[in-house]
Amino acid sequence: MRISLNWLRKFVDIKVSDDELVRLIGARLVEVEDVIDETHKYDKIYVVKVVEAEKIPDTHLTKCMIDCGRDELVQVMCGAPNVHEGMLAAWIAPGAVVPASVHEDAPFVIGTRKMLGKYDSHGMLAAADELDIGEDHEGIIEIDPEMAKAGDLLADVFELNDKILDIENKSLTHRPDCFGMIGFAREVSGILGQKFEYDFLRDGSLRPVVTGEAPSFDATLRLRRAVVTSESPQKVYSKLLPTITISDNTICPRLTVVVMEKHGEIKKKYLTYIDTVLAKSGMKPISPIVDATNYLMLLTGQPLHAYDYDKFVKVGKTDKAVLTVRLAKKGEELVLLDDTEVVLNENDIVITSNDVPVGLAGAKGGKSTMIDENTRNILLEVATFSLYNLRKTQMAHGIFSEAITRYTKGQPPYQTMTVAEKCAEMLSDGFKVAGMVDEYPNPEKQIVVKITTNEINDLLGTNYSTELITKTLGNVGFQINNDGNGLTVTVPEWRTDIHIPEDIIEEVGRLLGYDNIEPVLPPHYTAEKNKMFEMKRIIRDWMARYGANELLTYSFVSEQLLKKAGLDIKNSYRIVNSISPDLQLVRQSIVPSLLDKAYMNEKLPVDKFAIYEMNTVYRKELGFTDEKVPVEKKSLGFVVAERKNNETAYYKAKKYVAKLLEELNVVADYVPLKSNKSAEAKPFEAKRSAEIKVNGECVGVVGEFKNSVRNEFKLAPYAAGFEIDLDKVLTQMSHKKQINVKNRKTEDLTVTTDKNYAEALKDVQKKYPDAMIRPGTIYQAEGQKTRNITFHIEK
Amino acid sequence: MEKLEKLKQELKKINAEAASVKDLPVEKRAEFGRKINAKKQEVLAKIAEVEKALVDVAAEPIDVTAWSGTNEALPGFYSTELGSKHPLMTELNRVVEIYQMMGFEVMESRQLDDEYHMFDSLNFAKEHPARDGYDTFRTEEGLIPPAHTSTMQHRALKKYKYKLEQGEPIAVVVPGRVYRNEDVDATHEHTFYQCEGIFVSETCTLGNMLGVLREFFERYYEQKLEIRTQPGYFPFTEPSVEFMIEKPKVLGGKKGDWLEMLGCGMIHPNVLKMAGIDPDKYHGFAWGGGIDRLVLLRYGLGDIRVFESGNLNFLREFN
Repeated sequence: MRISLNWLRKFVDIKVSDDELVRLIGARLVEVEDVIDETHKYDKIYVVKVVEAEKIPDTHLTKCMIDCGRDELVQVMCGAPNVHEGMLAAWIAPGAVVPASVHEDAPFVIGTRKMLGKYDSHGMLAAADELDIGEDHEGIIEIDPEMAKAGDLLADVFELNDKILDIENKSLTHRPDCFGMIGFAREVSGILGQKFEYDFLRDGSLRPVVTGEAPSFDATLRLRRAVVTSESPQKVYSKLLPTITISDNTICPRLTVVVMEKHGEIKKKYLTYIDTVLAKSGMKPISPIVDATNYLMLLTGQPLHAYDYDKFVKVGKTDKAVLTVRLAKKGEELVLLDDTEVVLNENDIVITSNDVPVGLAGAKGGKSTMIDENTRNILLEVATFSLYNLRKTQMAHGIFSEAITRYTKGQPPYQTMTVAEKCAEMLSDGFKVAGMVDEYPNPEKQIVVKITTNEINDLLGTNYSTELITKTLGNVGFQINNDGNGLTVTVPEWRTDIHIPEDIIEEVGRLLGYDNIEPVLPPHYTAEKNKMFEMKRIIRDWMARYGANELLTYSFVSEQLLKKAGLDIKNSYRIVNSISPDLQLVRQSIVPSLLDKAYMNEKLPVDKFAIYEMNTVYRKELGFTDEKVPVEKKSLGFVVAERKNNETAYYKAKKYVAKLLEELNVVADYVPLKSNKSAEAKPFEAKRSAEIKVNGECVGVVGEFKNSVRNEFKLAPYAAGFEIDLDKVLTQMSHKKQINVKNRKTEDLTVTTDKNYAEALKDVQKKYPDAMIRPGTIYQAEGQKTRNITFHIEK
Repeated sequence: MEKLEKLKQELKKINAEAASVKDLPVEKRAEFGRKINAKKQEVLAKIAEVEKALVDVAAEPIDVTAWSGTNEALPGFYSTELGSKHPLMTELNRVVEIYQMMGFEVMESRQLDDEYHMFDSLNFAKEHPARDGYDTFRTEEGLIPPAHTSTMQHRALKKYKYKLEQGEPIAVVVPGRVYRNEDVDATHEHTFYQCEGIFVSETCTLGNMLGVLREFFERYYEQKLEIRTQPGYFPFTEPSVEFMIEKPKVLGGKKGDWLEMLGCGMIHPNVLKMAGIDPDKYHGFAWGGGIDRLVLLRYGLGDIRVFESGNLNFLREFN
């Protein structure tokens, strides 16, 4: 959202510097993403009078002599068809930058040039698009002689020397009121500690339309009185009474419809202040009717939509307008204003003429009832809609109009009638009200919150007085009644976000500035350690010491990756809205991700490495917890790989896991892997892998990978790894470490055997029950069946 | 082996059959081609499977109970110089350690959670647009890889509620991995780390929250720091605040440079209530901030994508 500081100043008396204002808005209202400085955007652009205009035959050009408030007339060539003698135009003097190009890399500087080989043209007479105040390029803009005279700076006349705040919408999700200038200005006033006086609902004039003075009212358009005195919920004023029906008030809590008849011409001749406000707010002037609706939306936050009444009736094949608000039927089609065709669904809300959809409510109007230059009668809709439906509409059709942006914040229904009246008032030169209906069956209840000064100070940690609190809240429209026992706060209609005492506390804290609250440490106690977290810290230290590298890889993997590692993809939770096929499945174990990274690193090339990751894994087979969320496992995966090594990688991986478990004082056995059916064992080759057993329980697997897996991942032959269940390891971990300090004598013992190492070790242990036995080398002569296994025995 | 031969025979037959397509009338050729191709793909897949199994059969068994290969030296470790810790984990530990010193317990965050913990228990209205802001991933079952560590808030409150009865505050930090459905570029990752903090007691205030956060950052950056706030909006805190610190000297900060560090606020009474804590008696505050950015700042890194790349040329710098 873009906020013009000049427009803001119409509503608030701002005495602080722009920088301070921006700081305060940032600290107390909303994040200001950017401040766009336009104070020099219109430098050297003047209001000039076209004194002579001579058509050059057989060209589209006109030779103009202009009065720019200097002694001599200046010659400018102009290609616009509407240039004529006596008009006031905007002249971009030589040396000035075309405003529409100021933010481009190479701004376009206007100079003096020769045209048609003989006519000097000094500067240019500007069209709206060149001035960045519209899209019109057909003709040059014309300025009202009552507003300006030749020689005036254009920027002075229209207050164009401005700064624009670019507001981060996301931080105002809960503040529909701030999506209109009035609401935004009210907040700024509150932040500055001033009472906001402007009351749009009760006495609001269209002050900003005509600078300096209040506009003249057309007495016949003073609808408000008729409305206020009427007691029926459906208020009627008129002859061309439209019939309106709301199928369900939860989708449309309030609907105000005004029919207006043409009684004169609104000649859009001159550039207006409203045009510039629209432009500065990021919209474009389109036509007087549409501009009035857009302007009021920017002013109040309440979107409006104008239909061509005659087209509306024609579409519905009725005599008078029959307007229904209802949910769309699945498959209904609608062509929008911008020519896009949408196929509606049952969540979309539509405005219909005799049941034919003519508008996608809250989002965009329909093409069939579009206002154009021939529009004679207008049907104006000012309504509120369910933000939940509109949010889905926004997502389903990708519509991000200014209107839907406001509606999805939850515009409250209190002001539709007033806004409709204002619109009628703005169009009163060309249209008069012929009919009006307001359907508002369940008026919003006034919210009242009770709170005490102590409660406010207790939560904020402040010492604010009741007077200060009352004034602060009163500045932005809260009514406070202090009965001695506490404050009764009546919440204004536009504050849909205030329901509970904490909301009031937030208002006080925010408006007075959180930065004025003293930071104080609370008393604290000692905390218990998280054992898993501590164990992981020990593992990380140990791994780094022994040359291993910690990796983090994504929790989501591709089907292909799991298949390459031999895993069952059905055992993975599947992401339905993944960004890419590479991130579709929740991983079941760590090793497959590491195999992928092992390949990448071998290719870099890194000759040898030991990589590991500790992270959380999920498998469908593990089921759900009592909380009905999937059981999770903390897992440690490890892969060692070398590009050039002919030895057996298994023993390297085993050394790492065995020593690591020793570090954690976990005593493990390594027994041949019987089956690799479990998810974490699937990539491993059973003939070259071992199950890691601790007190009879399997805590993981260590081994080399299946040849097929290794081939799939394109790894060099020297590759092995392990995957262990950290939750199980933690339960076995102990802080008891036996250290034997007595001097030991060492001797080597070599046995010739056809047994495996573990069995041979058992025999040796029987012989030396008290000794510490460490492994030595294993030798097998060529052609021999037996091996010589050496043990280091420390007695 | 026999199985493979059989399959190869079958493939030959199919190929021969395919060649007969030219004898068919033109209008039947497409249909025939489709069928025969499907058959062929099926057999090819079977062959691949059998061949894969054959490759695996070729693996020689080894003595897995031993500590070295036959006629091989006992393996050694790689040298310490090659080792490294992941900078994100190092940072996470550094952060958690300071909070531990300040009396906070540690509870790790889940990586697959449900709508209730991610949104409902945090006072997000059903189908409220605020839920969209989190761009969550979802599984077929409707589970959510959490988009913020606040997903643990409800659990933490329930778990440590007993402390309040003992007259002690609840003080917990929750480090963890979170996910957003975002396209990845130099400054955006769909996977990143956060640390959540929760504090509840009878007397705590917003001033205490600012005190705890300032204390943390002063210890973290080892200098006195100015702090600043901005109003924020989170359905689960009221008031909600964005917390900023002046850019510390170690990061080359100058006067007037500010860093947005985290979002925080006083825990919404509905959140306390849902966890069985009486909001009339107790107040709390909570905050959550990103870890990745702390690492980027500390090392002057410009690209967040390196963290999950697994590239050892990068990771070994963090020896």
